[in-house]
Amino acid sequence: MFFFRNYKTIIFIVVLLAAILIVLSYNLKQKSSAGLVTKIVLEVAAPVQNVLNASVKSVSDAWFSYLFLVGIEEENKNLKKKIDDMKSQLILYQEGYLEAQRLRNLLDLKDDFDFKFVTARVIGREQAALSKTILINKGTMHGLAAGMPVLAGPGLIGRVTDASRHTAKILPLIDENSNIDAIVQRTRTQGMIRGTGSRGCVMKYISKIQDVKEGDTIVSAGIGGVFPKGLMIGRVSHVDRQDAGLFLKINVTPSIDFSKLEEVLILISNDDKEGEE
Amino acid sequence: MIYYLLWPFLSILLIVLQNTVADIIFSGRLVLEISLVVVIYAGFRFNLIKGAISAFILGLVFDCIAGSALGLFALIYVIVFLFSFFMSARLVIEKSYFIALFTLICTFLEEFIVILFYNLAYGFELHNTLVVFLPQALIISLLAPVFFYLMHRVEVFFHGEPAQSAERTGTGRIPAEA
Repeated sequence: MFFFRNYKTIIFIVVLLAAILIVLSYNLKQKSSAGLVTKIVLEVAAPVQNVLNASVKSVSDAWFSYLFLVGIEEENKNLKKKIDDMKSQLILYQEGYLEAQRLRNLLDLKDDFDFKFVTARVIGREQAALSKTILINKGTMHGLAAGMPVLAGPGLIGRVTDASRHTAKILPLIDENSNIDAIVQRTRTQGMIRGTGSRGCVMKYISKIQDVKEGDTIVSAGIGGVFPKGLMIGRVSHVDRQDAGLFLKINVTPSIDFSKLEEVLILISNDDKEGEE
Repeated sequence: MIYYLLWPFLSILLIVLQNTVADIIFSGRLVLEISLVVVIYAGFRFNLIKGAISAFILGLVFDCIAGSALGLFALIYVIVFLFSFFMSARLVIEKSYFIALFTLICTFLEEFIVILFYNLAYGFELHNTLVVFLPQALIISLLAPVFFYLMHRVEVFFHGEPAQSAERTGTGRIPAEA
């Protein structure tokens, strides 16, 4: 009893540290999605994040709408010109698409994936020292689950890592923990996209003998069944044919500006939905 | 008891707020980790058990929201708290530059553990991390004296004088006179 009274703070600290280490090692070993604690914290954080986000957005919207008025006439002219150019391009692409559809029917090819979209709003961007995650305002109630691919506009954002009832956490492709199988669209060379934080991404495991140039488009490879094939990831910004090593060092600029992300699309597999029902 | 019930909610509020502010100011390039300054402050003000529990909860909330491995920041915050707690018994910090320097050391300690963890657990080769970590550490260490000063004013407002736990009386403390 005497020992306990004297050493109770030391015992407490040792027990606390041991408990944290057990949680940490269990979490590393399991590599599972969100536990109960994470789900509860996310559920509580979501409304707070929503309120903060809404107030910040209203202020920034008012400011930017004023800023955008400056020089809007010039921009309007440029945009109109751009629309005309793109219309002519679109006609060409439509022709190509219809031709591809006809050829697909001829070859009797079927899509490997059958997806539906769920739209969600970004309510927060959370950061730790080496990881960046995005919080959205949809959760398991809307059919979301861990592992689902997330898009915005033409490009891939990442995948859902944790989902509570009303909110979900997305691991963006620029996160250091993110690895995605990808291909160089022009040459069909396969590699792996790994996030490097605010510096974008790098494409790994591409042999030095492969032909990769700056400006090449990188798309998802569709291997592993998580991401559909052909989703835009980004463009090659720099290729380093370093002397040491077997592989090229390829820097990739993501197609999406993650700091300006407001809405995202989550691809829900119809197979998953049917399974749940 | 009310403190322990309220602290998780305050922690969530703090983490969400610091992320939102960092997102507005730095567009997601840097982390404004006020929570670390709170842990250091707790090291100088709270008793061992209360402070350790507070640091643990804050770290756990940070892990849950920020997406790092669950337990990583809980461990780091408890270590930083213990470091601050034991240093507070040996140091009398009176000047703001001393608070800034101590916060800088704690930030480097945190970043060292993060790099070590990512290297050991995932085998990441984290080159150029200094480019991100150094400005973060400098910003936090510059903000720390301001935070200490504000907390000092809050304590004076509520208690008439800075609150000291009975356990800490007679040991080193921070007047936080910036």
